[in-house]
Amino acid sequence: MNLELSDFAARLRETMLSEGRVIRGPDLKDEDGDSCSSSLRNFDALALELFALQFRYNAAYRKLCEAQGVTPGIIEHWKQIPAMPTTAFKELELSCIPPEERTAVFHSSGTAEQKPSRHFHSVESLAVYEASLWSWFAQNVLPDLRFTIYDLRLICLSPPPEQVPHSSLVHMFETVRSRACESADRSFFGTVASDGSWSLDFDAVLAALNSSLVPRPPSLVLGTAFSFVHLLDFLRERDLRFRLPPGSRVMETGGYKNRSRAMPKEELHMVITERLGISRENIVCEYGMSELSSQAYDSVAGDEWRVTGKAVSCHPSPVTRHFRFPPWVRVQIVSPETGQEVAARETGLIRVFDLANVFSVMTVQTEDLGVRRGDGFEFTGRALFAEPRGCSLMMEGSALSLP
Amino acid sequence: MPSKEMNLPNYFLADLPPEATLSPVMLSEACQTLKRNRERYLAGRSTHQLVKVLSDVAEAWMKPDNAFRKLVLERGPAETGFSCETLKRGLDDFFRQVTPENLHALLVQEFGNARRLDAVTATEVEQKLSRAAMAVGPEFLVHIAAGNIPNPTWMSIILGLLARSAQFVKCASGSAFLPRLFAHSLYEADPKLGACLEIAEWRGGSVALEDILFGEADCVTATGSDQTLAAIRSRLPAHARFLGYGHRVSFGFVAREVLSRSNAPRITARVADDVVAWNQLGCLSPHVIYVQSGGELSPDKFAELLAEELERREQTEPRGELPASHAAGIASRRGIYEVRAAHSPETLMWHSQESTAWTVVFEADPRFQVSCLNRFIYVKPVKDLTELLQHAEVVRGKVSTVGIASPEHQAEELAAQLARWGATRVCPLGRMQNPPLTWRHDGRPALGDLVTWTDFEMQ
Repeated sequence: MNLELSDFAARLRETMLSEGRVIRGPDLKDEDGDSCSSSLRNFDALALELFALQFRYNAAYRKLCEAQGVTPGIIEHWKQIPAMPTTAFKELELSCIPPEERTAVFHSSGTAEQKPSRHFHSVESLAVYEASLWSWFAQNVLPDLRFTIYDLRLICLSPPPEQVPHSSLVHMFETVRSRACESADRSFFGTVASDGSWSLDFDAVLAALNSSLVPRPPSLVLGTAFSFVHLLDFLRERDLRFRLPPGSRVMETGGYKNRSRAMPKEELHMVITERLGISRENIVCEYGMSELSSQAYDSVAGDEWRVTGKAVSCHPSPVTRHFRFPPWVRVQIVSPETGQEVAARETGLIRVFDLANVFSVMTVQTEDLGVRRGDGFEFTGRALFAEPRGCSLMMEGSALSLP
Repeated sequence: MPSKEMNLPNYFLADLPPEATLSPVMLSEACQTLKRNRERYLAGRSTHQLVKVLSDVAEAWMKPDNAFRKLVLERGPAETGFSCETLKRGLDDFFRQVTPENLHALLVQEFGNARRLDAVTATEVEQKLSRAAMAVGPEFLVHIAAGNIPNPTWMSIILGLLARSAQFVKCASGSAFLPRLFAHSLYEADPKLGACLEIAEWRGGSVALEDILFGEADCVTATGSDQTLAAIRSRLPAHARFLGYGHRVSFGFVAREVLSRSNAPRITARVADDVVAWNQLGCLSPHVIYVQSGGELSPDKFAELLAEELERREQTEPRGELPASHAAGIASRRGIYEVRAAHSPETLMWHSQESTAWTVVFEADPRFQVSCLNRFIYVKPVKDLTELLQHAEVVRGKVSTVGIASPEHQAEELAAQLARWGATRVCPLGRMQNPPLTWRHDGRPALGDLVTWTDFEMQ
């Protein structure tokens, strides 16, 4: 066990617990005038400290930093910390955890032809991940339930954790289940097909939705956007509609990478409202990935002003719901052309500085495009043709290689 | 862009303001008009006349004060993303070829006789057999154009005119600008010919509109992915002929014998020509340059020289701006090669500073790699052509052009080996994206595939 990293992890968890008690409010500015979502004013110091540790203990990361001529001694600000591309998690072991201490590895989703990202965890790093995810999940998805007994009816549209041990998303669902739900009812309604894809046990979901109709605590439905499309298509085919108890909420995440059917977000949310009776302000979108240990949410459940944009003076109109990470994470939007931070309202690549990635790499360069919005960001799309990979995939659906 | 802003008359559906939506009825009427006009104005034209119109129009495009050329150079960068210099070179390379001699050569190549589309005629061999024949083009020809570069669409229009077909060109959304200006130039030169041509753009997959076209078409040409082509084919009536041009990739090969220090600048300049032309976006543009090991210049040194050349080109022929999603693709790819380079000397990378304008990646791994294009080129070492073809097996059957630099006495043998392997075109490096008019598109006779023959056996 690495004592320095352990010490950092322990302090960070303390911070997460105390930050978890901070109620979200209007934007605050940190010492640089950067917008941030809370008062974690020592972010810079923590980031530089963690960078020095990762530089020392993560050999694969150090090589990249050295190639860029960046060492802990010469940088003065968290924004100068070198970023590791998400794709590198597929090729390198980007971990400070020695192999014998690794207890879990999370893979990115993707097609079978691609190598997945690998994010290694130990007991300790999972504890950080869980503290991070739970704290921010609770604040955003369960804000009004934080100090009451959590006996939600949980419906996860994913396979159970034992069937998909490499899914960081399902690990998150399981963490939520263990902390928020006391019931012993079935919570996971997905299954894994032989090709590794996920599908749903529709009969069981229907039974769970039906049982949610009698007066009882609210339901919490968690799933990928694709799993919701799957479920909603099924409900539409049978013309079934549910009205889940007041206070019920949905958290959906992720896109449709290589899936057969994609649905625009707005439509997805409309159909969720139509078929499950959950109103828009109780549908929360998540932005996350296996390479990170924190997630961003685009609203606080039940928080109508974030939906309508009314009474929010600090947001430039028109207000779209935008993603916000917890205080221990910072986001930069960088120009693909220059690698420098772009001006407000310009599109660039999303770079995430996640202190909760204590044992891997804190600064991760995603292939996602976004625009800074107030204290958060809007996801606007993906980099095209970013990844060198199997030719068959590039040939199909590529607009580039036409005659 | 509405034609008003460009001072163009409203001749084509693509000239309508963007808020105008096309309806099936409008399209149906357009098809009937095209067929009527063809009957009146085109069916009876002689090949000689058509060749004259086409070559005159092409010649006009080459002149600096030509209004359409000026419009392309003025508005093109904003409309297409190509820089003015790239557009200029693209226009010149294409229109330079459209001469009466080349059109004649094309007709002779395809039909054995340049007057086959005018009358029943015979070649010498046929005469001996008391035979003759005439070729007739489709009455109504539909092109589903992909639109990243204009050449295939311009060429389709030229071939369709030679075949005396009424033509409907469906451009991918946002890509009608260059085909449309060519159509206007034809209209200006010969309004009656222009009236046999329609240009429109909409997002592919608009079933109601496309069904009208497909229902009227005698022949449909389409460029796109295998999936797109299969989808179009399945929607065509049985009698319609379908000519699908699927995704193709291209690569280069530099033989060790030509890799001397004195030769290197010439060869890297040619490779740069191929990378810069239409920003590498055509099917004929190289993804990878394979460099044979063992020459005076090592493959990685070649890559470095190529990088220097691309930097010079950026000064004279800039790439132009990219949409964020494409620039982000280049930035992301560079990110992964930067990581690889930090870990292994087998990967090297050179790229433009403060921009995504050009990138050269040298990888010792010889497996074929599809580029993200827009001047992003791989250089890989290889022992010989045989080894190269093994590493390109993944794209076998999908390779259009192989650009080569080799001693003359080797070239023919290399071409034969590539032909047996399935590449459909071999040319010198530097000319990859600039095929002659007589080029057989994907190995098929582009004009010949349009027509139907009538054989006449003399008494």
